[in-house]
Amino acid sequence: MAYRWLDHTAELELHVEAETPELVFQQALAALAELFDGSTGEADVHEVALEAPDLASLLAVWLEELVFLADTRGFVPGRAELVLRNTSLRATVHGRRGEPRPLVKGVTYHGLRLDHSDGGWQARVVLDV
Amino acid sequence: MFELRRIDDTLWEIPAEARPDMRVPARVFADPELLEAIRRDSSLEQLQNVATLPGVVDAVYAMPDIHQGYGFPVGGLAATELPDGVVSPGGVGYDINCGVRLLAAPFSAEELGDRKEALVHEISRAVPAGAGKEARRHRPEQLDRILAEGARVVGSDDDVARTESTGCLPGVDLAAVSERAKERGAGQLGTMGSGNHFVEVQRVDRVFDDQAATAYGLRIGQVTILVHSGSRGLGHQVCTDYVRRMDAALGRYGISLPDRQLSCAPASSPEGQDYLAAMAAAANFAWANRQEIANQIRKAIERVLGRQAAESTRQVYDVAHNVAKREAYGGRELLVHRKGATRAFPAGSEEIPEDYREVGQPVFIPGSMGTSSFVLAGEPGSIERSFGTTCHGAGRNLSRTAARKQISGADLRRQLEQAGITVRSPSNKGLAEEAPFAYKDVERVVEIVERAGLARRVSQLRPLGVIKG
Repeated sequence: MAYRWLDHTAELELHVEAETPELVFQQALAALAELFDGSTGEADVHEVALEAPDLASLLAVWLEELVFLADTRGFVPGRAELVLRNTSLRATVHGRRGEPRPLVKGVTYHGLRLDHSDGGWQARVVLDV
Repeated sequence: MFELRRIDDTLWEIPAEARPDMRVPARVFADPELLEAIRRDSSLEQLQNVATLPGVVDAVYAMPDIHQGYGFPVGGLAATELPDGVVSPGGVGYDINCGVRLLAAPFSAEELGDRKEALVHEISRAVPAGAGKEARRHRPEQLDRILAEGARVVGSDDDVARTESTGCLPGVDLAAVSERAKERGAGQLGTMGSGNHFVEVQRVDRVFDDQAATAYGLRIGQVTILVHSGSRGLGHQVCTDYVRRMDAALGRYGISLPDRQLSCAPASSPEGQDYLAAMAAAANFAWANRQEIANQIRKAIERVLGRQAAESTRQVYDVAHNVAKREAYGGRELLVHRKGATRAFPAGSEEIPEDYREVGQPVFIPGSMGTSSFVLAGEPGSIERSFGTTCHGAGRNLSRTAARKQISGADLRRQLEQAGITVRSPSNKGLAEEAPFAYKDVERVVEIVERAGLARRVSQLRPLGVIKG
């Protein structure tokens, strides 16, 4: 289970490998939290319920939701309890308030994928920064 | 591999026959060396993808500062014919009406002298990167007015008159802007954002064209202030909302695309009309945002140099470099998508302020951090060759990770300070990502658009201080 940032001339390209789709969503949260930079503010928690036409889009919608919370609530996520059912997601996201770096502008559909192969799950998302 | 043929000194073309799905050729303004750099990433393939959009006319273009983006390349240009050609939110980008504004101070760099540090410091306090503790939240009715009317809600008549489209795109429908977008915008007016956004204090180092420089109010030695920002979270959310909505509607319009991020819909469709109405609102928010940043900069100038200096700080112009606009070419009404490209109308255009009508529209080309920026003037070649468009910046050459591997933020800060450039940035990491060597040489980019007849050089601006988000 891991995430890594790949070289992309202008944007940020996130790759995640994990044993389950749930863990892909967890890793993507961790990757985004790294970009926002650590926060030392008071603890905060958000409930989210999301759906999308397919699993890869759901991953994009999940990241969009975390960017939205950072932008509007100054929320830096730490961990999430999440339940994935087909292409919908319910999550309780725990984190802290702070001043997250406003770096990510959008979660793109460019080369977006989340699929199962070689005994694991792989995802790729390009973020506009 | 596709065939790339040279058309003239500065223009190359991939013919439409290169791929069965291309509707028009893909053309690139460059020189042999820049072309080498351009071919190292996937920008040309992305440009070819853009050439597949329904309703696209003549050719799609890349400026010499092109680099790989997502969907559209950055530094790309595509015009579709109205009413039924498509509009693509990705062809405008997440940062709708990201753009550049130049202010000309009434004092010289010599007169500023050792108050420079104080000025840079005051500006950095006055212009936050994000919606932090100090951000001014706007009430919903104020925000709605800003979305509908743009820069004039917060700006003086003089500033508004010297803004592209007088700081307001018509055709806004507030109902087309989601509540989430409005929520993101409410606390972000007057904030810079992060990444490559900045405010820079500069000195006019060279003048290439006396007549135009005089018309723009620029003289050697003068202090100028360049602002680079956009529509912040509000615009990002509008793009997000409509990429998703059009992605779901592609089947209905029988559109198939080589890249999902190019999602689009006919401009005349409900999706297209709603996007254009929401995009106009986001563009207006961006003009008001840069206006509010300019207002705060004037207050910072007042604190350091007095009221007279602040009141005499004049706006040169404000240009958008991520937007889609309705424009007429050869009797056709087109929707010109500029993604990392700047409108550059020549002398005589009624779209530009009267004071500038004899010399052409001002265009600002920021260099990378620590290097010179340029003021250009639009030339007739832009209308003839590139839908009234020129480049927008230096263009990235290296990824952010690669930049960080080559220099630490702390070292870069020291190097810039040693070169006499005051730096204010909360993030060393962010600073390293924007290192000058991560970008193409802006002088070369500017030289090519001049040789191509798209715009000519008016003056060169050297940085004295940089404020980064």
